[in-house]
Amino acid sequence: MLEVKNLRAKIEGKEILKGLSMKVNPGEVHAIMGPNGSGKSTLASVLAGNEDFEVSEGTVSYKGENLLEMEPDVRSHKGVFLAFQYPVEIPGVSNINFLKAAINERREAHGQEPITAKEFLKRVKEKASLVELDNKLTNRSVNEGFSGGEKKRNEIFQMAMLDPTLCILDETDSGLDIDALKIVANGVNQLRSKDRSFIIVTHYQRLLDYIVPDFVHVLYDGKIVKTGGKELALELEEKGYDWIKEEQNPVEA
Amino acid sequence: METLIEETKISALATSLSGSFSNKIPDHFKNTAERATGLMSGLEFPSTRDEYWKYTRTAQISKVDWKFSDEIFNAEIPAHISGPKIVFVNGHLNSELSDLNANANFEIGPFHESNLDVEKEFEPYEDFRTNPFLALNKAMPQNGYVLRVSAKSNIENTIAVVNIYTGDKVISQPKNVVVLEKGSSAKIKEYHIHTKNSGKTFANTHSSFVVGRNAQLGIDILQYGSDESFHLQNADFLLDRDSRVVQNTFTQEGNWTRNNTNVRIQGENVNANLNGFYIPSGTEHIDNHTIIDHEKSNSESNELYRGVLLDKSVGVFNGKVFVRQDAQKTNAFQSNGNVLISDTATMNSKPELEIYADDVKCSHGSTTGQLNDEAIYYLQTRGVPKKLARKMLISAFAEDVLKHLVSEDIRGEIEEKIDTKLAK
Repeated sequence: MLEVKNLRAKIEGKEILKGLSMKVNPGEVHAIMGPNGSGKSTLASVLAGNEDFEVSEGTVSYKGENLLEMEPDVRSHKGVFLAFQYPVEIPGVSNINFLKAAINERREAHGQEPITAKEFLKRVKEKASLVELDNKLTNRSVNEGFSGGEKKRNEIFQMAMLDPTLCILDETDSGLDIDALKIVANGVNQLRSKDRSFIIVTHYQRLLDYIVPDFVHVLYDGKIVKTGGKELALELEEKGYDWIKEEQNPVEA
Repeated sequence: METLIEETKISALATSLSGSFSNKIPDHFKNTAERATGLMSGLEFPSTRDEYWKYTRTAQISKVDWKFSDEIFNAEIPAHISGPKIVFVNGHLNSELSDLNANANFEIGPFHESNLDVEKEFEPYEDFRTNPFLALNKAMPQNGYVLRVSAKSNIENTIAVVNIYTGDKVISQPKNVVVLEKGSSAKIKEYHIHTKNSGKTFANTHSSFVVGRNAQLGIDILQYGSDESFHLQNADFLLDRDSRVVQNTFTQEGNWTRNNTNVRIQGENVNANLNGFYIPSGTEHIDNHTIIDHEKSNSESNELYRGVLLDKSVGVFNGKVFVRQDAQKTNAFQSNGNVLISDTATMNSKPELEIYADDVKCSHGSTTGQLNDEAIYYLQTRGVPKKLARKMLISAFAEDVLKHLVSEDIRGEIEEKIDTKLAK
């Protein structure tokens, strides 16, 4: 589904990703872990198409196409979804209306008729219940006045509405209490399927207690330096990231 | 034959206009007209040295050899303006296009047929030196609408007034008077349409609104200028106690637009609301000047002006709020927000507060910035193309003003104008 080769990216002249490679097959859940500043969120942003980041080298192939050439909206139409670490508040733009527009843009790109009002409302009801999102929130302005937990649940709600094939979750667990974390994880788990893949960016192992990954990658200094199964996350939780740093910089150690 | 006129003198323009002025001035207004004519001598076209005209030049107006026109036919009313209306073309009533009839509750008709005299009440505020165009309007007032609503009467339907300005080098000076007697209410929508491709047109309008005790007035103004239009709209409001007024001004398009709205709060417990939305493109120039004068205590005023500026357009906002010594417990809020869509657009925003009372709540805010890139990116990642994302943000921005609409039926044409301007 996704193949990243030797990806290098920078922001404001500073190189963050320094030759990252990874491969994600349909149905797989990949966790990206690593210390602060290692490039986890940059990877998520580059995959989603954030123009602030400049890709200087490498390739990203998604379903056989060059992902890097696509606008963010085109990536979305082709099934890429990014759940933001800091969801943006957009006063005056209704959550529901914009989602309807988003769905219809996607349908148009696929040569389909716009969604009927009935079908849309049914889907809203169904998907909102997935993350226990209050009806009132779905009708409000995008993220405006939402609590931290509500914002993250809204991200997963939008994800469910848009029915993506590659879901990228950027530190979705940050700022969540344990109850909200469980709700979000439960929503994600219900969306797991053999055709849908996940890249879960997280600093802590905690989320992975609830969303069990197939692979865990350790990102350090812009590169994946270690890959393992779910037990690698537990090891990181126990030992912290220092041993990774020491392995990578033996001289300093 | 060419005559030499002193371009900078308003009175010179008045003299050259007098030959083409054919309107009949009602008896009760003759003194006012004479007084205005007298006071006009010596007044010059405002220059940018005058604080009131700092960002809006009038030189282009002073250079045109304007004349009044009797042409009232061949005017077309846009199809979307349906329902009963009163229509004026170049400052003359067009009775064929008008189909608005008074009933027992209210009178409506052209200025020249009315004997409703409100001038005396406004005289103390008259300042021809600051705004000499007002003297010009009063010296040679043309036909606008006069509306009088009887006490405790409520006019259900919105009254539509259509002003059409057409021809080349044609000046029009409609004079409007609205009197709401105590406890009455009315809704008005005013269209100002400068015909496209007809030549230079200059509308120098003046409206006097007298809103009585516990009366309610809502007015939406839609301004459709042309590439060669000059639109100067002057409105003066006198508000008695317990009254409520909403004025929304939508400047849809136009080469040069200047709106002067002055509100005098003369009683307690008044609620005055001035709102505006403008979306200039090309080299369009739009200037909103407001004065809200709190003379009495316990009243509230709200001002909300929002602008989206494209291309090389220029916007001006100047809002002056006075809170007089007697106006304790005043609440006065003013906000002007602007989004610059291009690097070459300019906005000049100047809020002014003058407070002479000590127990008041006043605030003003002015912001000018760009669209939020982060929000656009966020919407894009959900599958909304950039263009549509921008439109969504601008629509949300305009909604702050649109939610105050008096007549919801004009929402469509305002949203459509936003769409077409952004699509270019």
